[in-house]
Amino acid sequence: MHGIVYDAVHDEIIVPVHLAGAVLVFRGDAKGEQGPIRMIQGPRTQILRPETVAVDVPHGEIIVGEDGGKDILVFRRDAQGDAEPLRVIRGPKTGLDEVRGVAVDPVRNLLVVSSYSRKGTTGVFIFNRTDEGDVAPRAIIAGPRTGIVRIRQLEVDPERGKIFVAVKNNTESYRWDAASPSPWDARELGFIGVWDVSDSGDVAPRAVIKGPASGIVWPAGIALNPRQQEIYTIDSVRNGMFTYSVPEFFQAKSAAIHGEAASR
Amino acid sequence: MGSFWRIPRRMRGRALALGLLGGLVLCQSSSFTHLQDAPTNNQPLEACSPEMLFTPWTVEASDFQNSEDATGGDIAPVRSLADPYPSLHSVAVDPDNNRVLMSDSNRGGLLFYDRSGGSLSSDVARPVTQIRGPATGMMFVAGVALDPRNHELFAVNNDIGDRMEVFPYDAEGNIRPKRILFVPHGSWGVALNREREEVAITVEHSNTVVIYRRDASLGEAPLRILHGPKTGLGDPHGITFDEERNEISVANHGNWAPLTRAESLQGEVKGGRFNLPSISTYAGEAKNDEAPLRTIQGKRTGLNWPMGMSVDPIHNEIAVASYGSDSILIFHRTDEGDVAPVRVIHGGLTSIAGPMGVSIDTKNDEIWVTNYREHSAAVFARTAQGNVAPKRLVRNALPGTPAVGFGNPGAVAYDSKRDQILVPN
Repeated sequence: MHGIVYDAVHDEIIVPVHLAGAVLVFRGDAKGEQGPIRMIQGPRTQILRPETVAVDVPHGEIIVGEDGGKDILVFRRDAQGDAEPLRVIRGPKTGLDEVRGVAVDPVRNLLVVSSYSRKGTTGVFIFNRTDEGDVAPRAIIAGPRTGIVRIRQLEVDPERGKIFVAVKNNTESYRWDAASPSPWDARELGFIGVWDVSDSGDVAPRAVIKGPASGIVWPAGIALNPRQQEIYTIDSVRNGMFTYSVPEFFQAKSAAIHGEAASR
Repeated sequence: MGSFWRIPRRMRGRALALGLLGGLVLCQSSSFTHLQDAPTNNQPLEACSPEMLFTPWTVEASDFQNSEDATGGDIAPVRSLADPYPSLHSVAVDPDNNRVLMSDSNRGGLLFYDRSGGSLSSDVARPVTQIRGPATGMMFVAGVALDPRNHELFAVNNDIGDRMEVFPYDAEGNIRPKRILFVPHGSWGVALNREREEVAITVEHSNTVVIYRRDASLGEAPLRILHGPKTGLGDPHGITFDEERNEISVANHGNWAPLTRAESLQGEVKGGRFNLPSISTYAGEAKNDEAPLRTIQGKRTGLNWPMGMSVDPIHNEIAVASYGSDSILIFHRTDEGDVAPVRVIHGGLTSIAGPMGVSIDTKNDEIWVTNYREHSAAVFARTAQGNVAPKRLVRNALPGTPAVGFGNPGAVAYDSKRDQILVPN
């Protein structure tokens, strides 16, 4: 499993099962070998290999991102079984390739997606929340100044209009002639990066956690606790979890979104 | 594996006894317990530097230039959680050379123990040798295999790494592999057939078995691939390659989903599914979409997340580590269908907790089990069954030491109702 989200309103845990093409919903207090209370799986779902998941409680939707499927599938929050998606974002105009993370900003009606591509663009893709079909994103955060080489899970703080991204930057290469294979090559270090939802193009992160003291090598996941002003990340090289107390990351509100408001 | 862990928000790496463990110093900073290379085994313990085992030693300020104008920077965590001890994953026994190899998927290493090592005391067993460190290239190490004839050990990296490393028996420390082979993403199990001079590897993600020359290296293509709907492969993990009968057996979790949109649309439209776990056995030269010779599958089998496997060609048995039921299941080698195992090792006395690897030693009539949820490996009589105590335990931490259990975690969530952090493996 490469994704997880907690729905605090309904007290549910939602996980994608990559190898079984399924999305499982558990009670919030589930433990042990307790079965899911709902499962989305089957040919009508169009789910291939779900990588990541988000929940949009105000609009009653579950959003699924796929790496192999190169798409976003949106289901009713209470969907069950072989259910058809409400909407699908897929196609060459989307620029999506291996979708690694997805989050919703229900305040600004935005869908924020992290996508990795060997041939295309790797970065943060911002769509209108209700976009559907083969549609271009309204903004892409990508380029050398962003520091994004490879990317994983992301979260949105809708109150402040911030996007928090686990920039993993892993290159799983082992050059036989290299002194040290990745991840021991310092040039490949990952980081936590923060952007505004209004950002677009090749812009440096507005906040970062990166460096030897941070302990981060290849951060794969990120979660927010705005109340405690904490960020949690999980690192696949360390096999460890880190908590950062960063009140300054939860202070400033985002500037207004460039261009017309996303109100569809 | 598919599971997630709940962690109280304020939990951090627990204070663990400082001490030497097979050439490594166990040390602890204010908020993080970690391993670091020990200069020598006899050198006294010193305070740990902030850098941990996997931190690149060549980090310089210039590497962080894109953060100069940003809020934050190189911020130390207020809390951290990781396991400083090896998590024993897979196991392979070489009775001829009296060695036992175990992989450590937590800290990315290999441990070679004396075959007669371990005891029923609470003592920590010291490995004869360890291989770990940047030069090895090892990361999330999973399956292992031994070649006593050529004195080589094989280790497959799962999920991250995407390669198999081969070391000589006498390798020790932070050493480059003798050779590496790039393998498909999601490789897990590895098995050797010395008669055929081949190595077979399971690939979870693509429901595939790939077979290479034993000496294959770098980007060499496989000799053949076993993949397709007729194979019945579904999230394959453990694998054996029976040299005497020329058969490959595979432990399948049962998860299946199309890899591509095109595959999902071939014939009847297909979606993902959870099949029952199984053990499927193929001819040694099977390839492409070839059906298994026989399959063990059904509710009577007791299979639940079957992981490592081992074949006993003398007594015609197959042992499977059933992670989900904390048990070792032994079947007749030729069993087929919905059959109950001939023996089950399970219960509180066994010390089995999250068994990941299993290896039968016919020469000494023993069976080895690696416990992923405990810092130990258990050794039983080969014919043990029921709720029996092991003959001895090989511990790499004191009894009761918590095993965090992270396995290349890929995401995290915060449960605001319970003030807990959720981590899927």
